[in-house]
Amino acid sequence: MKGKNTMRKLLAAVLAGTMIFSMAACGDTGEAPAADDGGDAAAESSTDDAQVSGKADASQKLVIWTMAADMQQFADKYVESHPDVAIEVVVTAPADYPTKVQNALRSGAKDPDVVCAEPQSIQTFIEAGFFEDLNQEPYNAQQYAENFVDYVWAAGQDSEGNQRCISYQITPSAIFYRRDIAEDVYGTSDPEVIGEKFATYDSILTTGQEMKEKGYRIFASTGELGFFAGNEPWIVDGTLNLSQSRMDQMNTAIELYTQDLTCYVDTWSTTWYQAMNGPIPLVGDEVDMWDQEAVDAAAAAAEGETEVFAFGLPSWGVLTLRDNAPDNSGKWGVCQGPTYTFSGGTFLGINPNSEDKDLAWDFITFCTTNEETLDWWIETSEGDVVSWIPSIEKHRDDENEYYGGQKLYELFLGLAEHIDYSNVTPMDTECNDLWNAAIGSIQRGEMTQEEAISNFYDQIESTYPDITVNRE
Amino acid sequence: MASQNTAVSGKPVKTKKKDLNKTGYGYLFVAPFVIIFIIFCIYPVVRTLYLSFTDYPGYGNPIFNGIDNYIRVINDKFFWRDLWNTIKIWGVNIIVQLGLAFLLTIVFSDIKYKIRGLSIFRALFYLPNLIAATSVAFLFQTLLDWKYGTVNQLLGTSINWLGDVNVTPYVVSIIGAWMWFGNSFIMLMAGVQGISKEYYEAAAIDGAGRWKVFTKITLPLLKPILLYVSITSFIGGLQLFDVPFLMCGGTNGNPSGTTQTMVMYLYRFGFENNQVGYAAAIAYTIFIMILIVSIIQLKVLGSSNDGTPKKKRGGRK
Repeated sequence: MKGKNTMRKLLAAVLAGTMIFSMAACGDTGEAPAADDGGDAAAESSTDDAQVSGKADASQKLVIWTMAADMQQFADKYVESHPDVAIEVVVTAPADYPTKVQNALRSGAKDPDVVCAEPQSIQTFIEAGFFEDLNQEPYNAQQYAENFVDYVWAAGQDSEGNQRCISYQITPSAIFYRRDIAEDVYGTSDPEVIGEKFATYDSILTTGQEMKEKGYRIFASTGELGFFAGNEPWIVDGTLNLSQSRMDQMNTAIELYTQDLTCYVDTWSTTWYQAMNGPIPLVGDEVDMWDQEAVDAAAAAAEGETEVFAFGLPSWGVLTLRDNAPDNSGKWGVCQGPTYTFSGGTFLGINPNSEDKDLAWDFITFCTTNEETLDWWIETSEGDVVSWIPSIEKHRDDENEYYGGQKLYELFLGLAEHIDYSNVTPMDTECNDLWNAAIGSIQRGEMTQEEAISNFYDQIESTYPDITVNRE
Repeated sequence: MASQNTAVSGKPVKTKKKDLNKTGYGYLFVAPFVIIFIIFCIYPVVRTLYLSFTDYPGYGNPIFNGIDNYIRVINDKFFWRDLWNTIKIWGVNIIVQLGLAFLLTIVFSDIKYKIRGLSIFRALFYLPNLIAATSVAFLFQTLLDWKYGTVNQLLGTSINWLGDVNVTPYVVSIIGAWMWFGNSFIMLMAGVQGISKEYYEAAAIDGAGRWKVFTKITLPLLKPILLYVSITSFIGGLQLFDVPFLMCGGTNGNPSGTTQTMVMYLYRFGFENNQVGYAAAIAYTIFIMILIVSIIQLKVLGSSNDGTPKKKRGGRK
């Protein structure tokens, strides 16, 4: 009897042990693996999206949550000069990132130490109290204010003007165009001259027509215009503001579509990327775009190929084009678009619950204000535009060979200086999505312009009951 | 009672030394499940109910606002549009799904055809149900691309499968039907196999034709199963989310909101617009709808006593 009990206890112990072991195995959160040769930078961890930079036995550890893989490079760079620090960078898909951060920080999690955010989620994060006030001791971030491009500095502030997060980038929107096509059509590829071709929505339409006459297309998709949508805020004093510039954007997008001036490709689709590097199939030109059958027939009988003249993208498009259009190196130019707007950018803030805020702040200043780091980043990224004015000034005359030797830092700094951040509201992402959906439904002939705008008003009212909508 | 085991001195008396009080063990054994159930099921359900009566952006303190959110749901035309979208997508889905499953059931259950390898076919038909919805969505997105997709190339057409208001909702329905017809087929086959062979033998002796056998024997006896399949499918259908979300531009429900389902609408407010209170009210409105359908299901299925499988909630689409 006693033996039987002992057996039971033994069995229970074995099972419990197995369970604990398996749970421990499941719970491996990607700690740095033991260093067999003293440990070195950038060791892959066991989770898909986490990477640890630095020695496994480092005395300090910093955790960063981000959507952009750039941070991993910054972390590697940081640990080179800080051997006593290990940095875990967790990269999460943009669609999941805000939910992940909100769930963690709402519950008072001590990790991450550094929270990254994109402009559209900054205000939500600030209001939710996810960022430490960087104007207070010991950070005193305000001392750096004048060295940052205005709009980026303003984007990281709360409603009382306290600095909550800082970005190392500026991301003004610009037109990226093919110099060889510009030479063919206009006899020049000068950014000043080509900039005039994109200076207003009307001139964009004219440019589209001129391109078509020569067998090119101005854009691959009309979605490019979305990066230049409106110089005015969507919401003014609690009222929806459907400005003339938004209407012009809508009208131009519709005209470009109905006059067959683009390639009817979806932005970010494979074909859209292909259009950067070479010709893509051309849809017939005498197509009534309101007649679906005619459009279908024309697409099926694609009568040859065409090259796309331009792409509307923020400054990070410098890297997008370089990576996706290797065959067109040196053939690109960059000029300004019809409005001064921006899109994207990675902002860094400190989790108020972090246990190592000093280290987090040191890392943030390392990424944003350290000129040595920024010089390295400019060189490494081959074209990313930093937000620290002394560094941009230093590289103002740098020529980017991929863009025909153009001085891109000078251009982007000029564009960024015109951006007015007071135009940005927390409702912008939703308003822009609904507005672009309205444009799409007109282009596809599903709604008349009047119906689409009315439906847009309905959706704004439904989404934001507190906002007044004046239907004109 | 404790006093029975207590001596005058107040000290407990050990009546039976070896007799362990085992009543507590039961609670101990079910504790892991109950604790997890309370944390992950009961608490969210109660918390969501509470939040549905508040204005809550997902952070800070929820502000009680009574039944405002429910009034907003009732007056929200896009919620009702999405209910109609959901029913429309489900309706076409269930017709195709059951039609296909029925056809296969007739073929496979007919002793005259004597089709071999039923289990292999059953597994093959069920396979689409085992593929993750994400994979299904990306697979069909590639196949159905307007200009470069395989389907248009094979058919020699250029139908905008995923961008035409008159086509896309039904494409979603058909994909749903493709994913779930194997499941319905298995259910119907089980139902057919449950029908006594005597009926068929009697019909054969009476000289009944194949059509007569089907309409007079198979169909009436399968009715409870059919009802069960369609009602559980409806409950699952009301919760339709994954495939249209992944294939039709996230919560936008492209084109022009025609594939936006109720749960996508809920997701849009809860996770994209930081209006958690309103999303909670939408969730409870959907819950009430499902509850009503479930009560009808209970009434209808409860009244049949002919071997109908027991109720199984949700999950099916």
